[in-house]
Amino acid sequence: MSVQTISTVVTDAPLSSRWRSLVTQESVATLIVSVIVAGAVLLPLFTLIISSFQVLDAGGFDTTWGLDNYRALFTDRIIPKAFVNTLLISAGSTVLATLLGVSLAWINARTNCPWRDRLEPYNLIPFFLSPFVGAIAWHNLAAPNIGLINVWARDYLGVSGHLINVDNIYGVIWVTGIFFSPLVYLFVVGSLRRMDPALEDSSRTAGAGLLRTTLTVTLPLVAPGILSGAIIVFVTSAGEFGVPFKLSAPYGWETLTTQIFSKAVGDDANHYLGATMSMALGAITAFFIYVQQRYIAPRSFTTVTGKGFRPNVVDLGRWKWVAFGYNITFVLIAVALPIFCLLLVSLHPVWQGRIIPSAMTFHNYEKTLFFWRADSIKAATNGISNSFILAFAGATIAMVLSLVVSHMIHRSKGFGARLLDFLCVVPIGFPGIVLAMGVLVTYIKTPIYATLWIILLGYITRFFPYGQRNVSAVMLAISAELDQSSRLAGASWFTTLRRITIPLLKPGIFAGWVLLFIIFLRELSISIILYTSGTETLSVGVYYLVNFENEALTAALSIAQTVVLLLCVIIFRRVAGREALTA
Amino acid sequence: MQIAEHSDRYVEVQGLVKLFGNDIAVNEISFSIPRGKFLTLLGPSGCGKTTTLMSIAGLHGIDAGTIRVGGVTYTSKAEGIFLPPEKRDIGMVFQSYAIWPHMTVMENVAYPLEIRKVAPDEIQVRVAEVLRLVSLTEMASKPATQISGGQQQRVALARAIVSRPRLLLFDEPLSNLDLKLREQMRVKLKRIQHEVGITSIYVTHDQAEALVMSDEIIVMNKGRIEQKGSPHDIYARPVNAYVSNFIGVANLLTGRVVQVIAPGRGEVELMEGATPVRLPCLLGEQMKAGQQAVVSVRPESVQVSRDGGAGGRIEGEVVQVIFLGNCVDCRVRWGSFEWKVLAHPRAGLHKGEKVYLRLDPERTLAVQP
Repeated sequence: MSVQTISTVVTDAPLSSRWRSLVTQESVATLIVSVIVAGAVLLPLFTLIISSFQVLDAGGFDTTWGLDNYRALFTDRIIPKAFVNTLLISAGSTVLATLLGVSLAWINARTNCPWRDRLEPYNLIPFFLSPFVGAIAWHNLAAPNIGLINVWARDYLGVSGHLINVDNIYGVIWVTGIFFSPLVYLFVVGSLRRMDPALEDSSRTAGAGLLRTTLTVTLPLVAPGILSGAIIVFVTSAGEFGVPFKLSAPYGWETLTTQIFSKAVGDDANHYLGATMSMALGAITAFFIYVQQRYIAPRSFTTVTGKGFRPNVVDLGRWKWVAFGYNITFVLIAVALPIFCLLLVSLHPVWQGRIIPSAMTFHNYEKTLFFWRADSIKAATNGISNSFILAFAGATIAMVLSLVVSHMIHRSKGFGARLLDFLCVVPIGFPGIVLAMGVLVTYIKTPIYATLWIILLGYITRFFPYGQRNVSAVMLAISAELDQSSRLAGASWFTTLRRITIPLLKPGIFAGWVLLFIIFLRELSISIILYTSGTETLSVGVYYLVNFENEALTAALSIAQTVVLLLCVIIFRRVAGREALTA
Repeated sequence: MQIAEHSDRYVEVQGLVKLFGNDIAVNEISFSIPRGKFLTLLGPSGCGKTTTLMSIAGLHGIDAGTIRVGGVTYTSKAEGIFLPPEKRDIGMVFQSYAIWPHMTVMENVAYPLEIRKVAPDEIQVRVAEVLRLVSLTEMASKPATQISGGQQQRVALARAIVSRPRLLLFDEPLSNLDLKLREQMRVKLKRIQHEVGITSIYVTHDQAEALVMSDEIIVMNKGRIEQKGSPHDIYARPVNAYVSNFIGVANLLTGRVVQVIAPGRGEVELMEGATPVRLPCLLGEQMKAGQQAVVSVRPESVQVSRDGGAGGRIEGEVVQVIFLGNCVDCRVRWGSFEWKVLAHPRAGLHKGEKVYLRLDPERTLAVQP
């Protein structure tokens, strides 16, 4: 039969009944969620593009259309330098994070390094903590004058001046490199662990030595994972606000994010120029994420066969203690030292670079945490309650959204599935601060501006893809036939979702929920653009203390945030296991 | 309604077309099944058999055609009707069994009844009854993940039949079991289906399964029906070379119909082998004199002897002898053609021996190529 006769049969159907057959629980839910997601993701980006062509006049009230904002990117006194600094910081962080991430992943996945299973969770801790707090800690450790390390160097080693200085772009590279190394680690450790050992064994039996096999077989197979991790680090570093704000901007090294921030808030606020800078930053990050998603991520699956393998382990001999020492040193420098330093600082009424045991007090914690006390700092206490509200509501809403979206992408496969799949990648391509600028210019004249709602919207839009990936991973592992047999047993689409799909996905949903809860609890770069007095978040509280109070108070709130995040990490590991993180 | 329920057309599929993009997965097929019968859709992977089953189940839409069961229209493209799967009253056993891992055996089986809002005490009775039928009574409270593959398969069957649906669908349900279990389950499954009397459609690529279990078989190829008939008909009277080759083993030789002697009988000339040979044979449908044909002879229908008596016009050499226990599988070279012959072990054939082959005219079939 020809295709022609088929099409005539198809068009013969009466229109009204065809319409009726389209209105099902499934299609209505699909339509609603598609519209919500498309609106949430595309509207801010669209408004951002439009705003970037609006030029503010000298009076600061009216705008005209033009390319002046884009011209300013090149002619402004600071912006071109900020551009260069951003690229330098991103490149430097990427190199550092990749070196750290790959070496640690290899030690943990492929060597007989002692206690490597115990070390793994500690290697990942920086992933869950706030880089902004890390920068504060390192300022207190290695600022030229008050940095503990420099003070000690002067006192005990007789060094004049300072030993190290992190108040510059090298400090930013140092802190972001350490904090984002788990991103590379997670990408690489997965492919190293799940690689079929036969691939390497056959190279060895073909006569190639260990080194040669590592260089010609192992490394090329892991290369896509390394590259993916490196790109994610580059993009995340370019969008990082807290670290350059604390370590480099005050000392003359502005970045795009600190510049966007100063254009979004403050006395000389110019949202339109901020939008244009966001466009520039977003264009770079979106390009890299596109390359990663389109060309690199698909290739990294070819080494993974899904079977459980016991990977080849290299016997390091006596060198295994060197590997162990290296790993321990990383954990000490990345996690223990900064937290220890903050703890010390937080216990002093005023931090002057000296430990004074007799002066230690919990006063700073009382001022930042005890909201019922009259002398408590409202920006801090509000921040705590607001962040818990936002994290709880945001994670819950985002996971409901993730569930429906994943279901549509992987199960319904109807109209909109491809669009949704695309929409779930778009937010990953844009740093939080860029998306937040979009949200700001979109909703500034609506009632949700200056409420927690606008922050919630920003959080969910930017981060729900993370939850969606968690749900999707589990959903792909569960046969669609489990859903189908429920439909055939007589259950409707919604009943099937409630009684079969959701119970089966519970571990994935909960792991995603805790992950988002952690991310929202430490979020800074969206909050900093969208907060107003009264809607501070935890990290904005820390920012407030950095700007308007002293280091000791800042340290107290930072420690409080860190403790809560560490508790969440323990819960996360309990529910998710170690494979849940592999992006 | 009543008429439809008892007619020979209890399940009726008409002009079913299903496209995947530009590929035609099912190309305008039609068939019907009488009430209570067991029909098998048989064919290689990609022939459209599973797509046909999924269309009947309502797990995807169709591009043209009508599907009716027991007088109820499930899908009709022309009338714009598409009944969602949950309204079709169908029981289905999937290839992966699709046993819900977060429920016990009993909860799995009770699910369709709960959905239908059957009273709890009646659910108890009916679940117990159906678990007894599949011999799983003592497994009832076990988590579904802690039972073996064969047991999961029976849970899936119990869950499919517990609500006494209009129709049972099986999507290669035995393909994940090992050979021994598979052979046991064929018989058991068929017996249970017979006991509950639910009209069934079974999809498989295993011809032995199809022959053992079915009342009727549909052989499919490239989205079309090649032949529909009883297992005996399909085996003994395949309509063409494809069916003959797919069902069982056959010697297939190219040939030409020389003459038609009586309706369905004639003489065929083999165009392959050592020497041109003319044989009396059965003719397939629409075979006329002078027409190209494929001559199909089952290995068990070839007689081997050492003396070239009457009719022994095919003289060949034994090139391989494989002992199979109850019989011997011989390969006999005859010019360019190698015959597959099933002989009795007592015939004592040896490699290198000269033998004569004799074909029974009643079991030699000339069909369309």
